[in-house]
Amino acid sequence: MGKEEEILERIKERFGDKVKNMAVKRLRRIFAETDAKDLKEVLRYARDELGFDHISTITGEDLGEEMRLIYHIAYRNAIELSIKTKIPKEDPKITTIVDLYPSAGIYEREVHDLLGVVFEGNPDLSRLLLPDNWPEGVYPLRKDVSLEEIREILEKGGERR
Amino acid sequence: MSGSTIKVIIGPQHPALKEPERFILETEGEHVVDVRVRIGYIHRGIEKAMENRTYLQGLYLSERVCGICSDAHTTCYVQGVEELLGIEPPPRSRFIRVVVAELERIHSHLLWLGIAAHEIGFDTLFMYVWRDREVVMDLLEIVSGNRVNYATNTIGGVRRDLNDERIHKILKGLKVLEDRTKEYLKMIGKEQTVLKRTVDVGILSKSDAIKYGAVGPTVRASGVKRDVRADDPYAAYDEIPFNVIVEDGCDCFARIMVRGREVVESIHIIREALKRMPDGEIRVRVKPRIPPAEALSRVEAPRGELLYYIRSNGTDKPERCKIRTPTLANIPSLCKMLVGGYIADVPIVLAGIDPCFACMDRVLVIDKEKREAKVWTLDMLRRYGREWYRKR
Amino acid sequence: MILTAGLGLLRWARRKSPWIIHFNTGGCNGCDIELLAALTPKYDVERFGILLKGSPRHADILAVTGPVTNQTKDRLLRIYEQMPEPKYVIAIGTCAVSGAPFWDCYNVIGGVDKLFPVDVYVPGCPPRPEAIIDGFVKLLKKMEEGGNG
Repeated sequence: MGKEEEILERIKERFGDKVKNMAVKRLRRIFAETDAKDLKEVLRYARDELGFDHISTITGEDLGEEMRLIYHIAYRNAIELSIKTKIPKEDPKITTIVDLYPSAGIYEREVHDLLGVVFEGNPDLSRLLLPDNWPEGVYPLRKDVSLEEIREILEKGGERR
Repeated sequence: MSGSTIKVIIGPQHPALKEPERFILETEGEHVVDVRVRIGYIHRGIEKAMENRTYLQGLYLSERVCGICSDAHTTCYVQGVEELLGIEPPPRSRFIRVVVAELERIHSHLLWLGIAAHEIGFDTLFMYVWRDREVVMDLLEIVSGNRVNYATNTIGGVRRDLNDERIHKILKGLKVLEDRTKEYLKMIGKEQTVLKRTVDVGILSKSDAIKYGAVGPTVRASGVKRDVRADDPYAAYDEIPFNVIVEDGCDCFARIMVRGREVVESIHIIREALKRMPDGEIRVRVKPRIPPAEALSRVEAPRGELLYYIRSNGTDKPERCKIRTPTLANIPSLCKMLVGGYIADVPIVLAGIDPCFACMDRVLVIDKEKREAKVWTLDMLRRYGREWYRKR
Repeated sequence: MILTAGLGLLRWARRKSPWIIHFNTGGCNGCDIELLAALTPKYDVERFGILLKGSPRHADILAVTGPVTNQTKDRLLRIYEQMPEPKYVIAIGTCAVSGAPFWDCYNVIGGVDKLFPVDVYVPGCPPRPEAIIDGFVKLLKKMEEGGNG
């Protein structure tokens, strides 16, 4: 059994149904899903017991009614485990993981800036990428705002109607 | 300067092409005690625009995320799209990708070496290195038809082939580069100006390098043997034997040595790739519409781990295209390096992570006691650094 | 193309020594490295007497690379306003010329002439050092013909 399968087996053994849709997509790529409330526990296990000591990034996506977050962590810089979780768009928040992976702070800040997700416990969610005069409440990577609308908002100098 | 708040805004008006960015440094006396980051001056909104373009149009956009490592971006992107399509580019194209990627690494590292020399005030070295860098610019032009933005990658393979004549020119150019780079490495290792400004400066311990998620030459200069080409091989890297360059110094000097030695190693990799290159076609045709799928693509850009996460939705445009550049990954480590260090070291430590120019020019220095906001330009900070070292 | 500058123009440039201030508004750096390459020994634009300086108050020429973005628009305008007359603007690279390929990106406003007049456009993505130098030569000609100094 390859290392990927071994990792998969150990997670399944430890978490059972809490981790769903787990699959070795190809060499060195594992994808899995879990609920937001279980995510941190899974990450902690992956870091402490399985040796995933590096977080490559956090991807945020607007799925319409929900937001999806994908945490991409790496084992020996080789095997990438992408763990997906969903949070409601109405109240998009999740616990921070900066205490597990200090470098995650900057990725959480990026997702907050562009998608409006709140990472509770992150000491610094201030603007990272968007300019100082960017209007509040406009999250450019959300699907419910188009490129044209964003440009219009910026041209009008701020408020979204 | 004793414990006060100084805001140092490092403006974009510098001949060595810096872009405006912002770091906020809190200082006490001559030391930096805290760092806050505020980047984004060149934030254009590319990820959103990618959703508005076909996959082929997206290729042109990815190439221009960064003009210095544009090939790393297109390689990462096309590999992701090819994975979505479930296709393999032809073997010969994978070797050509390696050749172009390594030529780019050489140009990027030499560019950096010149800029780093300039940071220390070593302008003669800057001129020499940039003169020699023209050798690799010529090679890139021979291979691709352009000096910058080579457009060799396409979805399904590469667009231009190598023939015997081009290969001969590449090998000739590489010999020149190899000799000169080895000379520079020898010289840098003995040059007091360089050593004084870089040894034991910008320390990032091995454990911190891993903890703070450092990538690329920055992580390898702290004794961590990590390189996506070796660990998560792509293109033809799993068919070419090469060394991952590691140094134990954990300081700015180690970062110079890693990049310098990587230039020599890249020359070796190109020779091996040319030797082992199979015959055959260089691209396969692909369909514009991609059924729903997802892919996580990674490459070792000159600055480190670069990744693209792409999701397709059955149309000819991606649902999501997430790009994480290596410079962003190195910012937490950079903050760690700056804290506890001297203000005089700030320019060289910033340069040490080889920031994609996109992140590094605007610096606010806040000195805690006086609570003043003084504006410094990067030039002033550099001059301060040089003077400070001259007095020691 | 450099030879077509003519000895007279060369002498004029060396006498006048036009000072350039360079500003990158948000580009990918492709144009910047070719502009910088133009300063290095192989291309050596300094032999034309052109010097890269840091302050707008002493500059004759504003060289812009990159597309104009929301966050850099004000600083670009400020630099332009601080320059004394007569002032000239050279837009280097397709982004500075028209904003493409970022034309539809939400933070991009467009080319430099959306803010103020441009004297010379150097298209290319990026333009080669030779093309950039050619752009400067054309600008020098314009300055000598039109400028009052």
